[in-house]
Amino acid sequence: MRRALRAGVLAGTLATSLAAQSRSADVLQQATQFYERLDVEHALALLRQIVSPNWGSDVSATQRVEAYKYLGACLALTGKPDSAVVYFRAAVERDPFAELDPNRFTPAQVRLFGEARRRTFAVAVRPLRSERIDPRTAHLSFTVVSTHAAALRAELRAASGSSSVALFGGTSEGLREIRWDGLQADGRLASPGRYAFVLTGRSQLLDRSDSARVFFDLGHETAPLEDTLPDLAPGTLLPERRPSSGPRGDLVKGLAVAGVVAFISGVLPNRALGGTMRGGAAVIAGAATVSGVVAFVVGRRHAGIPENIAANDGRRAERAAQNAAIRSRNAAKVAATILVVSPAAGAGP
Amino acid sequence: MRRRVRDLSAVFASLGLIAPGLASQVAVTGSLFTGVAEHRVDGGYGVERSSGALLGSAASLLVFRRLELAVRAEGGTLGAASSGAVDRDMAEVDVRLRGRATPWLIFEAGYARRMYSTVLARQAWTMLGAGVEGRVALLEGAIHGVARADLLPAVSVSGLPGPDLAFTSAAGVEYSHGALGASAFYSLERYDFPTVNSVQRLEQLTALTLRFDVRLLPR
Repeated sequence: MRRALRAGVLAGTLATSLAAQSRSADVLQQATQFYERLDVEHALALLRQIVSPNWGSDVSATQRVEAYKYLGACLALTGKPDSAVVYFRAAVERDPFAELDPNRFTPAQVRLFGEARRRTFAVAVRPLRSERIDPRTAHLSFTVVSTHAAALRAELRAASGSSSVALFGGTSEGLREIRWDGLQADGRLASPGRYAFVLTGRSQLLDRSDSARVFFDLGHETAPLEDTLPDLAPGTLLPERRPSSGPRGDLVKGLAVAGVVAFISGVLPNRALGGTMRGGAAVIAGAATVSGVVAFVVGRRHAGIPENIAANDGRRAERAAQNAAIRSRNAAKVAATILVVSPAAGAGP
Repeated sequence: MRRRVRDLSAVFASLGLIAPGLASQVAVTGSLFTGVAEHRVDGGYGVERSSGALLGSAASLLVFRRLELAVRAEGGTLGAASSGAVDRDMAEVDVRLRGRATPWLIFEAGYARRMYSTVLARQAWTMLGAGVEGRVALLEGAIHGVARADLLPAVSVSGLPGPDLAFTSAAGVEYSHGALGASAFYSLERYDFPTVNSVQRLEQLTALTLRFDVRLLPR
C-alpha cells in the first residue's frame, strides 16, 4: 500500500516536471519563431523569462543553453555585441559542445559566438553510448572538446585505482576524437570494471584550467573457458617407493621360514628313529635366512620402483600436455574477447 | 615365450584336455628336481638307515590362476647306511590337486603311489592326503618362502596295517625370474604304525630337494 502510494506520488511529480519542461519548450519554441520572424523584442522577452530565476517551470540544461544562444543571437541583431557575448558565454560554459549553425545565424553572430568561446575556457567529454567493441578490429572513441586552444591531457583510470592509461597529451582546439584500443599500459586487455575517462585542459589564451570526466563500465564477453585439470593427486599415482616396512617384513619372513624348517627337523621327527637330515635342514634354513637378509638389503638400497616412476612421469607429462592444450584454447578465446562498454552513473564534466 | 604358450595351449585344446575358450587361461609348468633322501625305519630290529639321491620331474597345469593339477614322478636308490639295512630302490608317482584360496594360502589334496624294492621284497605304498601350503612373498615376489603340511589319513602299505599317524611337511624357498624358477626344500614324512606283537613300526623319510621350473606363463 505504502509502495503504491509512493509510486503514485513519484508518477505525479514526474508528470508535473514533464509538463513544466513542456511549457518551457513551448515558450522556447515561440521565442525562436519570434526570432525567425525578426520580432526580436518579443523573442527577448520570452527568452529572458526562461532563463530568469523566477521562471516557474523546469528548464532542462539543453533548453537553457538553447535559450542563452538565442538571447545572444537576438542581442547581436540589436547591436549589443557585448551583451550578446555574455549570453553566448553562458551557453558555452554550460555546454562546451554548443555551436552556432552558420546556415541559420549570421556571420556576425557566429563571430561573436567565437569571441565568447575565446573568452570562456571549458573542456567536456561527450557521454558514451553502450556498445560492443572487438579490440582486434575496432576502438572506443571519446569525443572531447575545448572551447579554444588548450593543452589537453586525456587518460583512462580504473575506478579501483589499479591502473591508468594515457590516451592523449597535446594541444587541441574544438572537437577531437580520442581513441582507445582497449589495452592497458602493459599491453594487456583492460580488466573488467568501472573506468573514468579524465580530461584535463589548460587554456593557451587564458590563465585557466578545466577538467571533465565520464564514467563507464567495461565488461568482457568471452566464450566460456575450460578449467585446467588438477595435478595428479598422490592417491592416483603408482607408489614410487616401496614402503619402508617391506624390507623389514622380508627379513622377518625369511627368518620365519628358517624357523619352520627348524621346527620340522627338530620337533616333528620321531625321536625313536634318532636324527634326521639336520644338515639338509640347516642348508634350507640358511637359504631362507640369507634370502630374507638379501631381500632386506636390496629392499633398503633399491626402495625406488623404476617402472612406477616411469609410468607416473608419463602420466604427469600427459596431464601437462592436456593442460597446455587447454591453456592454448583458453588463450585463443581470451584473444577473441569482446569489450562491452556501458555508461555508468556519475558521468559528466 | 608367449607364442610357445599359445602353441601349447592350442595343443592341449586340440587334445580335448581343455576347452578352446580356456586356452588363454591355462599355464603349464615343467620341472626337474633332484635331491638327497634319507629313509629310517625301525621294525623292531633297530633303526635301519638308508640314503641316496633322487631324481624326478613334474608338470603342472594351472587353470584360471587358481586351480592347479600337478603330476610328479621320482625315483632313486637309497643305499644302506647302517647295519641291518639293505639297499632299496624307490619310485613314486604323485598326483595332486591344488586350489589357491589366496595368493598366500593353497589347499591341496593328493594321491601318491610309492614302491620300495629290495633284493628281498617289494613294498607298495598308497597314500591319500590333504593339506595346506602357506606362501610369503619377499622382494616383490621374486622370492617366496613356502611351508607345507599334509595329513595322510588313508595310507595303505602292502603287508602292514595302516599307520596310526602319517603326515608330511616341508618348507623352503622359491626363487623366480621371469619364466624360470628354482627352489630348495626340506621335507619330512613320518609314519607311526600301530603296535603289533609289542612292536611298533616307525618309518620316516626326509629329503633335501632342489627343483628347477620352467613356467610357460608367469604365475
